[in-house]
Amino acid sequence: MSSTSQQVIPPSLPEGESLDFLTLTPQLARKRRSQLRIIADRFVRNRIAVVGMVVLAIITLATIFAPFLTHASAVDPDPSIKLDLNNIFGAPSLLHPLGTDELGRDELARILYGGRVSLLVGISSMAVALLFGIGIGTFAGYYGGLLDNLLMRFTDVILAIPLYLLLFVLSASFSNGSVLNVVFLIAIFGWTYTARLVRGEFLALKEREFVLAARTLGATNMRLMLRHILPNAAGPIIVNATLLVGANIILESVLSFFGFGIQIPLASWGSMVATARDYFLEDPILVWAPGLCILIVVLSFNLMGDGLRDALDPYLTER
Amino acid sequence: MESLLEINNLKTHFRTRDGWVHAVDGVSFNIAPGEKLGVVGESGCGKSVTALSIMRLVQRPPGEIVDGSILFGGQDLLDISESSMRKVRGKQIGMIFQDPLNSLNPVMTIGNQITEVLELHLGLRGQAARNRTVELLREVGIPEAEKRLHSYPHQFSGGMRQRVMIAMALACRPQLIIADEPTTALDVTVQAQILELINSISTEYKSAVMLITHDLGVVAGMTDRVVVMYAGNVIEMAPTDELFANPRHPYTLGLLASVPRLDEERQDMLTPIEGSPPDLLHPPQGCRFAPRCLFVTNQCKNPPPLRNVGSNHIAACWYDINNPAEQQRAEARRAARLRQLEQLDATAQTIVASTLDEQTTAN
Repeated sequence: MSSTSQQVIPPSLPEGESLDFLTLTPQLARKRRSQLRIIADRFVRNRIAVVGMVVLAIITLATIFAPFLTHASAVDPDPSIKLDLNNIFGAPSLLHPLGTDELGRDELARILYGGRVSLLVGISSMAVALLFGIGIGTFAGYYGGLLDNLLMRFTDVILAIPLYLLLFVLSASFSNGSVLNVVFLIAIFGWTYTARLVRGEFLALKEREFVLAARTLGATNMRLMLRHILPNAAGPIIVNATLLVGANIILESVLSFFGFGIQIPLASWGSMVATARDYFLEDPILVWAPGLCILIVVLSFNLMGDGLRDALDPYLTER
Repeated sequence: MESLLEINNLKTHFRTRDGWVHAVDGVSFNIAPGEKLGVVGESGCGKSVTALSIMRLVQRPPGEIVDGSILFGGQDLLDISESSMRKVRGKQIGMIFQDPLNSLNPVMTIGNQITEVLELHLGLRGQAARNRTVELLREVGIPEAEKRLHSYPHQFSGGMRQRVMIAMALACRPQLIIADEPTTALDVTVQAQILELINSISTEYKSAVMLITHDLGVVAGMTDRVVVMYAGNVIEMAPTDELFANPRHPYTLGLLASVPRLDEERQDMLTPIEGSPPDLLHPPQGCRFAPRCLFVTNQCKNPPPLRNVGSNHIAACWYDINNPAEQQRAEARRAARLRQLEQLDATAQTIVASTLDEQTTAN
């Protein structure tokens, strides 16, 4: 065995020869991409998912920079609430690209400012639901046994409740229609699927040998859960989060449509459709515009989620 | 010399639907500081469970350490709290696993995984931790260590991953390294390198090594002393040279005979040990090797105690297998078994032949 420990001394090369061919070939160099790069490459190959992401980026940026895209001014910082009773149901024009609504407000401004609310509610309720779901799923999956049973039966109970009915009751009794209230209302029911997903991932991952190996190095349970196992479940969680945003936007729209969600003076796409349906015959744009926005945004989130699912799938190798 | 690790009558059992499996059933041995101890035996004889018991990482349920003591530096590891045990793991006892691909976290960089150990036990952070990590990677022979810090395990080959595992196990200069079949998943050329690395680095760090393997060649190359385990028991223990030159338990003898040799003329067949290890749910009364043993007699119904058979050499067998009379007995039994097999073979062939005949006539 001593022979293996001897250093291998490379033979000196004859004149004019080089060992350049031993260095990385271009093919190999290309293979050595970072993990993120591999995922990004795979995602970009899915055209439809990229379209979804681009559409989302445009809409998000438009709502963020809404004041610059509408006729906001220092006197009048929010054009979406500026009434002009002389110009109700105005037809599309240069000044009002989507016309005006039943109170003479600029419809484009309302769409952009309403989009802020819809996206904000969708994304922040996703964040809250994710936090809750990951927490419950992590403990249930990692510790198993009685704790797992308790937490998962609790989840089952939540899932068994007729969602919309309870949401209507809860918002009617407790909610004051603020964004924060609606976010929590939606998140209360959004975490269940995430919790199940995370629990499943943990059940599988905690049996893996690298977890045992980390234990032999003296890692605590908390560290094992958060640093070793959770990142390994990141793929499915991210996909789930994306799809959750879409679902939450719909849920918020439904709540607002029935008057249980966002309340005046705030508007979301859902509540805009709700008000506009009374004037559908006078000005169908008022229904179509926010309705299509919901459709496009939710569709984009779902397309992006599907793309991410494929890109993050660990069983697809470097291609 | 004072022992670093002293295992006394360790019993680790697993509860299954059918009853308790006695995976480790009364194992005792010790390791001196800096000593390299080999633990050999067939699959399922309790080697790995012994190792996990020392680390107190036997999953419970279903596993449970039901009896015994594990003295490490004079302290019983089975008595201390979980948080004190965590300070032993990784810091005082390092462990290397069989499959380096599955033992590294796939989503953490190599650098972060090694740094984590330094952070946990030595409180090293930031640049200091980074420097020590690079140093460790160099020590285990990973070229361009700085660049490799940011690599993920899947970008490494099997041998390199095992080197990283070694770096992690040795990061805190532990007094004991448990290597559980560290080369089984690697190809032969890499095996020798990895063993040599474990050998040299543990010598440098003055760490004791408990090398678990089923490969006698590995044991011969680098251990001072060997423990042979069978069906959850220690059946023989001797200095390595002594064990190879003078095995005193029929099982050890069988193990050595079943290894193909390059320095002798090849026989027609390898000599395997007939049969398979006993069901540990219902281990045989008496000597557990008896059903497969060529030396077996009625006396083997009583469990044989470990007895001294030489200097530092103990074996659990009622017989002196070096005694010519015993050897004749074994030889006769082997011949009888062979005859039996030949007869069976002949019968089988006649049956096959006659069936073929019938078929041809039928056609």
